[in-house]
Amino acid sequence: MHMKKLLLSLLLASPTLLFAQGSQVNTQSLKAVGMAGAGSALFVDEASIFYSPGALAKMDGNAISIGASAIMYRSAFREYNSTEIHETKFKITPPFSVFATLGPKNSWWKAGIGVYTPFGGSVDWGTDWPGKYELNHLQMRAIYIQPTLSFKITENFGIGGGFVYNVGLVDLSRSIPVTMADGSSGQANLSGTGTGMGYNLGVHYHLEDNVSLSLSYRSKVVTKLKDGDADFSVPPSLAASFPNTTFNAELPLPASFNFGISFPASSKVDIAADATFIGYDIYKSLDFDYADNTPVLQDTHQEKKYENAFSGKVGVNYKTCEMLTLRAGVGYVYTPVRGPYVSPETPDNNRMMASAGFTYLLSDKWDLTAAYVLQKVQARTVTNKASGLSGTYKTNIHAPGISLTYKW
Amino acid sequence: MKRLNNTIKIYLGIISLSLTTYACAPEIDSFESSAGSDVDFTKYIAVGNSLTAGFADRGLYLEGQQVAFPNLIAEQLKNVGGGTFNTPFFSEEQRNGSGYLQLKSLTDGQPVMEQVTSNLAYREAGKLTKYTGKIHNYGVPGMRVDLAYIPQFGALNMYFERLLPEAEVGTKSYFDFVTTRSHTFFSFWLGNNDVLGYAMNGAYENPEDATTTFTSVTNFTNGYGNFINTLTTNGQKGVVATIPDVSTIPFFTTVTTARLQAGVEASTGGAFDEIYISTASGVRIATAEDLFTLSFPTDTLGKTSNGILAYGLIPQNPLHDRFVIDKDEVAEIAGRVNAFNTVIKQVAASKKLAIADAHAYLNKVKTTGISYNGINVNAAFIQGNAFSLDGIHLTPLGNALMANLFIDAINLQYNARIPKVDATKYRGVKYP
Repeated sequence: MHMKKLLLSLLLASPTLLFAQGSQVNTQSLKAVGMAGAGSALFVDEASIFYSPGALAKMDGNAISIGASAIMYRSAFREYNSTEIHETKFKITPPFSVFATLGPKNSWWKAGIGVYTPFGGSVDWGTDWPGKYELNHLQMRAIYIQPTLSFKITENFGIGGGFVYNVGLVDLSRSIPVTMADGSSGQANLSGTGTGMGYNLGVHYHLEDNVSLSLSYRSKVVTKLKDGDADFSVPPSLAASFPNTTFNAELPLPASFNFGISFPASSKVDIAADATFIGYDIYKSLDFDYADNTPVLQDTHQEKKYENAFSGKVGVNYKTCEMLTLRAGVGYVYTPVRGPYVSPETPDNNRMMASAGFTYLLSDKWDLTAAYVLQKVQARTVTNKASGLSGTYKTNIHAPGISLTYKW
Repeated sequence: MKRLNNTIKIYLGIISLSLTTYACAPEIDSFESSAGSDVDFTKYIAVGNSLTAGFADRGLYLEGQQVAFPNLIAEQLKNVGGGTFNTPFFSEEQRNGSGYLQLKSLTDGQPVMEQVTSNLAYREAGKLTKYTGKIHNYGVPGMRVDLAYIPQFGALNMYFERLLPEAEVGTKSYFDFVTTRSHTFFSFWLGNNDVLGYAMNGAYENPEDATTTFTSVTNFTNGYGNFINTLTTNGQKGVVATIPDVSTIPFFTTVTTARLQAGVEASTGGAFDEIYISTASGVRIATAEDLFTLSFPTDTLGKTSNGILAYGLIPQNPLHDRFVIDKDEVAEIAGRVNAFNTVIKQVAASKKLAIADAHAYLNKVKTTGISYNGINVNAAFIQGNAFSLDGIHLTPLGNALMANLFIDAINLQYNARIPKVDATKYRGVKYP
């Protein structure tokens, strides 16, 4: 008990330990979502493939789970000195995750595979807002495929790692300031897919009094888009200046380092906390290299200059009875985006998260988990360095999700 | 089990509650507008020339009228107590008004224009359909400070004639027409044509045509001062604008000496490569500092004129003075513009009026260009987004930026908070 108190006071006193997760919306395990993203040390299950590969070997049996969330991302913008408020259209992004394990029961090793979407989003500002020459819409998704191996070194200590293969998809449009015969603006449409590779590693340690620790590292994954399609809707007289062509681009997805801890507060209640450091500073610029250039269609270089980000999350796991577990959590995320680089793609700022969730045992084979997290991105008034667009952004993210697990 | 069901119901309740809030986007603090101190925007009138009227693409037509900068200002003033703002719009049926230029094609990168001739508003040759409704936008293309006091001008200018009751045509001056409207606030932008009429005629005063007169500083000072005195008789407030330098507009910067030389060299196989112009100090070779007008008929170059060969290419047959403002004339005009602007600023300061410094703004558009929400705006012909196809008047986007310049000036002078225009809603030059 002395140990628990010590750890609790350490967590409360030292905010650096509380920082976790990045600016992405993580929905890989709905159990963790129910605790605002905390729980990497607490949960020893198939989703440990993502959260704590060192814990995977500690699973007794095997399991497969399928989960999906509905991320509803809604931003609003008011230009400086304007009365008009513009909102993104209502869009649902459905990140999904599949985790499956394989291995003998109660053995010293376990294998598993995870397919999940750690990054992604959909934002649609439309073609009639003051930032239309920056962005009309953006849809982005990174799908990670991760085979993982995990070993128990001792009864208490597990270690694991996986290889990550990423398929990235991006689709964006922006208005071009040339006027068509009907008075509307031209438009550029860019879409493409790319691939990248990375890995993750983790250790998981159980102390004698049920305190658990998890350390994990996910490497950066540089996704290279090759020969994406660049299509331009422009007046016919300008078609030669805007040839439909292809482009190459590179999207660096950041590395992250996560520390998680969990401990029982009573026989029915566990508390978990996670702190994550995300190496977003690799995102320095977004460059599009067009296969065909003309005097007006030049390769573009957009500075991003992201900073490293931190997040911290704390959650409570309450076993009301054998069949039902309830969860709740709160978290805080520091944004990686500096003011002059805030753009309509990610009108980001520090955000607060609150969540609730439950797991219901349908039978001794089947679990149903559901969770809901609300993220409120604080209002941010910025002037974009590149375009000069000046105004206030505010964003709410609602993400309900559900998953089903089969155990054997 | 019952307790369990209830718990699940509560959770489902929470989830469905949040689902209903999804549609609600986050709330952003709204803009607090304010009329500021000591200003009454109830009845705003706009006094001015073609720029005030919404003239563009060498014509006055409905689409241009609708986006005239005073109309955009009036829309914003509705946030701070402004009333209805009537404009002598052409009817939908006669929407193309005087007719105007449009871009037909780009041939080898060169613009080919055509005149719009349908749905015009002429009731007879040189006379437009009369407008009889209420007016708040009193912009009259071609209006000048000096001619504002000449009653006969109403019979000579079809845009002014259109607004006047038949009995007042030729008998009522523009000054008398607009200063009797019991306005509470005004915008005033006259004086451009007092230099531009002369400059567009190649800095050549045509004795037959009063619109080519180069207004003297004395006449300008008297006419301008009297106009503003009268408009502020009852302590009304307003905004005035300075006069842009003529060398900021593409009308004078597109047909350059270098371009003409290159064209001549190419078409004569290198036999000729200089342009000869006639100036006050005699005939000489044109330099980069001499400005040719956009209306200069380049196909006359090298042709026989007055029985002499090679028009403009040999010193014996120089270009007529009216197609070029030579560098001395450029300096003369710039000096006059500066003198006028000094008068404008003095008068405005004495009446505590806001000053929209269009002179400084268009200089900036010309020299560095302006980046507005991702649009590059500069003074290049057609591509620059600011100027319409006549190279003088503004595009809808240019009008929106001008409206914001005026609004900034009003906000500054009267400590008001009038919301700005979202200029991205307005277009540049239409391409075919």
